[in-house]
Formats: sequence, C-alpha cells, structure tokens
Amino acid sequence: MDIGRHHLALWAIAAAGLFVLPSLVGSGILRTLILANYLAIFAISWDVLSGRTGYISFGQPFLIGIGAYTTAILTKRFDVPMEISIPAAVLVTMVGGLIVLLPALRLRGSYFALVTLALMELCYQLVQVIRPDITGGTRGMSGLPTLTRGASNGYYLSTGLMLTIALTAWMLMRTRLGLALSAIGMDEGAVQGAGLSPTRLKSFAFLASAFIAGLGGAFYTHYLGSIAPRALFDITFLFTILAAALIGGSGTVIGPILGAFFLTFLLEWLRPLLPGAERYFVYGLVALLLYMYQPAGILAIIERVRVRLFGDSRSG
Amino acid sequence: MLLQILIQGFLLSGLYALIAVGFTLIFGIGRILNLAHGSYLMAGGYAFFWIGQIIGLPKIIGVALAVFLGAGMGIAIYRLIVRPLKGDRIAVEIATLILAVILQAAIVLIFGSSSKIPHPLVPGVVRIADTPIAWSILVATCASWIILLSLYAFIRLSHTGRAMQAVSMDPKGAAICGIDSNRIDIIVWSISGGLGALAGVFFAGYTQLSPSMWVTPLIISVAVVIVGGIGSIMGTLAVAHIIGFMEVIVTTLIAPELRGVFTMGLIIVALLFRPRGLFGREEI
Repeated sequence: MDIGRHHLALWAIAAAGLFVLPSLVGSGILRTLILANYLAIFAISWDVLSGRTGYISFGQPFLIGIGAYTTAILTKRFDVPMEISIPAAVLVTMVGGLIVLLPALRLRGSYFALVTLALMELCYQLVQVIRPDITGGTRGMSGLPTLTRGASNGYYLSTGLMLTIALTAWMLMRTRLGLALSAIGMDEGAVQGAGLSPTRLKSFAFLASAFIAGLGGAFYTHYLGSIAPRALFDITFLFTILAAALIGGSGTVIGPILGAFFLTFLLEWLRPLLPGAERYFVYGLVALLLYMYQPAGILAIIERVRVRLFGDSRSG
Repeated sequence: MLLQILIQGFLLSGLYALIAVGFTLIFGIGRILNLAHGSYLMAGGYAFFWIGQIIGLPKIIGVALAVFLGAGMGIAIYRLIVRPLKGDRIAVEIATLILAVILQAAIVLIFGSSSKIPHPLVPGVVRIADTPIAWSILVATCASWIILLSLYAFIRLSHTGRAMQAVSMDPKGAAICGIDSNRIDIIVWSISGGLGALAGVFFAGYTQLSPSMWVTPLIISVAVVIVGGIGSIMGTLAVAHIIGFMEVIVTTLIAPELRGVFTMGLIIVALLFRPRGLFGREEI
C-alpha cells in the first residue's frame, strides 16, 4: 500500500470530518463513538499480539483490567494525580504482559489461549477476595476522577488516543519488525532459522500489546469514572474484543477499528429492540457467521466489493 | 471435620468427573477443546427447570429432554462448527467460545437474566456420619459413577467403543481399517453433549440456574484435561478427585470465596510445569 496524494487527501477529509462531527450529531451518538473508540483500542491491542504472532490471547481483559485497576486504586485510595497514575498503570500492565509472556515461551496454540483465559478468571476471583477494602470487592469502585467533562471532549480525547495508537501501530507494522512478527504467526521455526530471536520478537509483541491495553484501560476507566470486576474480567468483554478484531479483519490495523465501530453501533441499534444482555444473541450470531464464512473479516468484504465495482486497481 | 471433608470431597468429585468426561472424550478424539461444553450443562439445567416448573411435567421427562437436547447440541456443534473449520483447533476454540456467549444470551432471551432455583431431583435430606446430605446430591454422585463406569465398559468392550479408541489413537490407521470416523465423531459428540446436559441437571442442584452458570463447569473441564493430560476416563476420574478435594478442603479450611482461585491456579501451574499433564498421553 503506497501512500499516494489521494490517500493524503482522503485522510485530511476524514480528519476534518472527525473534528466537526460533535457539532453535527447528538451526544448519544457521541457516547457510542467514544465506546467504539475504546473498543477499537482494545481490539488493536489484541491484534498486535494475537493477529500477528498467532498466539491467541483470551487474556486481553486481564491486561486491560490490570491497567484500569491500577489507576483506579492509585487515584481513589492514594489520591495520586492522574498524570502519574496513568503512566504507572501502563507500566504495571506491561509487567502483566510479561506474566502472559511466560506461558507463551513454552506453550503454543490452544493451550496458550487456555492459560490466558485462566489468568483472566483468576484475576476476577482474586480482585473480589484480596483486600476488598482497596479493590472495592465485587461492587468495584465508583466516583473516580474523570479526565474530561461532556460528551464532545470525551469524544475528542478518545478519538485522538485511538488514532494515535492506530497510526503508531500501523507504522510499526510496516517496518521489518512488523513483518517478523507476522512471520512468527506463520512459522516460528523459520523465523528462528532466519537468525532472528522469536523470544525477543514475542516479548516485544507482548509488551506492545500490554502497553496499548494498559493505556486504553486506564483512559477508559477515567472516562467511565467507575470500575467493576464483572465488567472487566468478563468473558463477554473478551468476546467483544475478539469479535471486533476478528470481524473487522485481524492482522491489519484498520480491520479491528472497523470491527469495533461496526459492533458498537450494531449493539446500539439493537438497544430499542432488545434492551438487555440478550442483544449479545444477535451480536454473537453475526460474529460467529462472519467468523465461520469470512475469516478475513469485513475488510475482505469491502475489498471484494471495491474490486467488483471499480476493478482491481492494484494490478491495473 | 476430616470425615466431612472426605464425604463432601467424594460427592463433589463424582459430579466433577461427569461434568468433565464429555470434554475429555472430545479432546481425546480430535485434540479439540470445545469451549461451549459448559453450555450443555446450562441447556440441560434449564431444560429440566422448564419441563418441571414451567410446563409441570414429571421430572424424569425433564431429565430425558435435557439429555436429548445436549446430544442434539453436540451433533449440531460438530456438524456446523467443527467440521466446516476442518479441525483448525484455534478456530474451533474461538468459534465455540463465541457460541457459548450466544447461548448465554439465548438463555437471557428465553428465561430472563435472574437466577432460578430448580426443584431438587429427589427431595429430602439424609444424614451420613452426622453430615446432612441432600438426596439429590447423593443420587447425582451415584448416577455419575454408574454412568462413568458403564461408559468405560462401553469404550473397552463394545465394537463401537473400540472403534472410538482406534480413532483417538490414529485417525488414518482407523480409516484404513474401515472405521467410518465421521460416524464415530458424531457418536462421541452426542455422548459428550448428552452427558454434559445430564451433569447440568445435577449441577443445577448444587448451585442455581443462571445465564452465566456455564463458566464454572467449563473451567473444571479445562482443568481436568490440562492437569490430567490427554484424557482417559480413569484419568478424568482421578483428576476430578484432585480438583474436587482441593475445592472442598479450600472451602472448609481456608475460605469459601477462594475455591475457584485454586482451580485456576492449578491450570496455570500445570500448563507451565507439566504441559503434557500428570498422566501424559493415554487413549480414551
């Protein structure tokens, strides 16, 4: 994908559109957009690790939860300002990323996914049991300081954060490092044979993923202003992240973003019809059917439609 | 105290073995981890509840419906998810996890999100060594043992059972010997689903029915497979007792809230230090 002049023009139009959006739409849609932005961040963080290296992590909520809880505890219980607590949360999450990395050095494939799933459930139970006076136990914490007031400020902040992360991830994945990470997903032995260290590459992918997850988790907590174990260390949350990345098209940066927006808006549109958790029925069916019949995701569908309509510009 | 732990441990472990055995069978035959296994239990429990308390038919019909529903679900999962994905294990794992979330939402759609308390299978309480034990739990454990032993005999002695063993050892070799592995797969998936749903009827007597009740049995099944290695039925029984007793000991001696923590910890430790499991590779 070369960057042509029309690409730059498209990006400029998109950026301008994003900037004026809050004055065009209501705050309800803005809130949905904010949620979609955060989901996109989480999906990118999953994709940096799993979409590239093929180590399917079911533990992304574990990382996000660590970030979210660290900053929540620091600001609420120890009155640490957010300027310090958020970087601290990111650092702690990266330590968490190293914990997830340990099994990945020994296990592959389905077992690795199980270990991360177990880590997430373990965290869910531990948070409620260990020092509930600090973690807030089953109920979690509320009344956390928020970074922004009003929907439009939250929208700007989350969009800026999401685009920064997406752009960084995109540029990173265009380098040889990104290529090497994708190569691990295809054949780890070959990567080693080519004289690269899979362990070092994996460590990088896990740390990068944890960095994004921690950052996203911390900002998300300070957007919501509250935190609860069942909202974070939850299989439904995991499912949403996975579905966003897979539906959009994993192994790309734009795919998880597309998936996140598609799913968040689908969930919002379903709200009038199905008010409660049963929305996930439709949502899950869409995710499962897409995953079964178009594993490359929406991105591949869009690409196919584009080729149908305009012909294959790459070969022509 | 010790006697209580022993009794409680044996009762719980028998049920855990029944919960996990279907999951082990599937893992044994295709190295596939079916993360929708907990959903069989949920479906079975709710089917029992629906027949007994909403329709008002005898409980035994509820049990039968649960078993048939579970078996049907097992075949459906195999035909619609596992076979189209052609044994891509990670894809099956992701797809079955998504399916589990869908089924959870389906339960919320049909029965609502509040938890339900099903009538016990057999009412009443019996006292054994000064420990009050509900009849339904005693029945559940005895039934689990009978089912597991007859399943063991079926796999060891019957023609179909031996074909199952053959497929689990070497699918290609089995195919050369004229075994229709597709038929065997369908049999195993329906057994797995049926037993899972039956375990769900029993499990609902222990806990309650709730849309998220599938997570705990899934974790137990995963722990049994991971800790036991590639599962035999006897291995399943053994590991189910390790996990069951560990939970009972933790619950009575340390703190009830910690019961799940140790199971999860066991999965992680086992995978890190003995990725092949305690008993290594064994046929079913």
